[in-house]
Amino acid sequence: MSMEQVLREKAKELLSSGKVKVVIGYGEGSIPIKSTPIFVKTPEQADCLVLNPTCTNNLTVYLPQAVKSGPVAVVAKPCEVKNIVELVKENQIKREDVTVIAVSTPGILNDAALAEFDLLDVKKISWKADGVAVTTSQGDTVIPRDAAFQKKCLSCTAAQPAIADIKIGDWAERAPLQDKFADVEEYEKLSAEEKRAFWAGQFSKCIRCYACRQACPGCYCNECFVDKNGQIWASKDTGAESNWFFHMTRMMHTAGRCTGCGECERACPMGIPLSLMGKKMSLLVKELFGTQPGESMEDAPVFGCYQTNDPDPCPE
Amino acid sequence: MEAKVIAKQDISAWLSSLAEKMEVLAPVEDGGVIRYRPLGEGEMNLNFSGPAKSLRDHFTPETETLFRYKYEGLKAELEESPAEEHDRLIFGARACDAAALKYVDAVYSMVEPRDEPYFARRERTTIVGLFCNNPAWSCFCTEVGNFLTNPQEMDAGLTDIGDKYYAEAYTAKGEELLSAAQFEPAGAEDAAAVEKVKQKALSRLPAKGAHEEACLSYNWDSPIFPELAEKCLGCGVCAYSCPTCHCFDIQECAQGKKGSRFRCWDTCQFEKFTLMGHGHNPRPSKKERTRQRVFHKFKYSIERYKMLGCVGCGRCISACPVNIDIHAVVAELEKPAPASEGVNNE
Repeated sequence: MSMEQVLREKAKELLSSGKVKVVIGYGEGSIPIKSTPIFVKTPEQADCLVLNPTCTNNLTVYLPQAVKSGPVAVVAKPCEVKNIVELVKENQIKREDVTVIAVSTPGILNDAALAEFDLLDVKKISWKADGVAVTTSQGDTVIPRDAAFQKKCLSCTAAQPAIADIKIGDWAERAPLQDKFADVEEYEKLSAEEKRAFWAGQFSKCIRCYACRQACPGCYCNECFVDKNGQIWASKDTGAESNWFFHMTRMMHTAGRCTGCGECERACPMGIPLSLMGKKMSLLVKELFGTQPGESMEDAPVFGCYQTNDPDPCPE
Repeated sequence: MEAKVIAKQDISAWLSSLAEKMEVLAPVEDGGVIRYRPLGEGEMNLNFSGPAKSLRDHFTPETETLFRYKYEGLKAELEESPAEEHDRLIFGARACDAAALKYVDAVYSMVEPRDEPYFARRERTTIVGLFCNNPAWSCFCTEVGNFLTNPQEMDAGLTDIGDKYYAEAYTAKGEELLSAAQFEPAGAEDAAAVEKVKQKALSRLPAKGAHEEACLSYNWDSPIFPELAEKCLGCGVCAYSCPTCHCFDIQECAQGKKGSRFRCWDTCQFEKFTLMGHGHNPRPSKKERTRQRVFHKFKYSIERYKMLGCVGCGRCISACPVNIDIHAVVAELEKPAPASEGVNNE
């Protein structure tokens, strides 16, 4: 049975037994190059679930709302299971309210890999042993792994998930094709002035649509700090100072909680490399606290708990 | 005025000569996204397939200071922002984006006095369009209008026919532009090449729809909106990339005895957009907000302005992180109701 078929069977069991009220997974998008989040509520609808290289969304973003109507099952890739771990630790969802369907895939398609194709002629996108097959009226073209997959997938080791109720796919640990922090290490070579200039240029493009925030499973606050009306210390304008403030503050709020899922960068309409910031923060947290988010149910949330021996490096 | 042609290699020289008289904005790629930037800032990219970022921010800037003030004791000084005084040319505008300006014009002149800062920018801007040879998968401009064959709000339009561009003027400003040295009269084979390129582009686009009539009977209680509400992230990208969106918020930036008042983009997709002072929100969930977007672009626009508020640019479709497709939504809303559904089919 393919992963997709296994997923549909499991979803049908969960729904017909009444164990969950809804299975959050992926369905066919409006065109074969896309899939879309779907909320399956009956065993019959479970046949709408798909699993293919276009299944990119981090569905855990829906959990805090979804569990309010009853127990939920959610399809989560290795990086996304980490978000569920953090959401449980932060008391946004109860462990017993979520059935984690942990799916290990060969990797998720990077949109840029389709640049040379006529997107209206793509009929299907599927996994093949050495990459991704794009089927058009001309037949199949296989894009090799390192060109086909998203950066985060290339550095994935498919390490055992910290929580999982159902596991689908090949969970054998794999050697990463790329180092997870390779781009951060490149960035760290810049001088302080160069880093400042880099981000100033990037933030000048920001239109404050807040797509990064809305796509992020860690940004679940009922009222975001920027949405308070009429405050003086954070402004809604898109000037340099205001944009810096928004992004830097959001980074501080997600530090120690960002799993590098990359949804922020994917959602950004202006091409700002937001996941670079998230990963930089993640590397800092690793160096200072020795932990990474979502890898263990036992690790205390880094900024949620105070230890008297917490590192407190003072700049010289 | 007769049609002209300009060799591709002469475009830079033409734009540079124009840049001596006015600010010239041209499409530039940055981080995988196309933006209109002042000539010279980045390398011009005219090979983008499908819509670039719309023209909206050049007419309704993301942030616009309305006035500044300062006061001492009981004396206050108010300084209005100066009216737009410099001339501009936007090169490489898409037909859908130019046509969208007609709609935004209608919105900003709906009541008296009209929005002067907006119209000052409109009057001082010349638009040179670049017709699409290769529409994106998400494009559907032909379904809601005929901007590729009957361009709107452009002063001149260019079509890529290989090593040159075919150029047509639609206004006096456009005629003046095309009388520049780099342009030569077009020949019959140029016109034939344009026909071929246009037919190819049109073959990738849907036929004209009947949204103008159909939208008047959209179902307020359609089950599609609760469905969209489940997956919509409320991220605002649809509205912020939309060429006809025009809503703004007015905020203050106060620092002790001085400050400024500005307007900035806002969207009905944000939760607080309709949150009232007394605490009530008539659009409390994404069901109401997604419905608002679709109804505004189609039904309310026809009712209010007798024109559709959607130009089929498809940006909201390709930019939506969860693949909400407004084109598919209106197709669903316009499906005839099944026969079994009661007597009153309104």
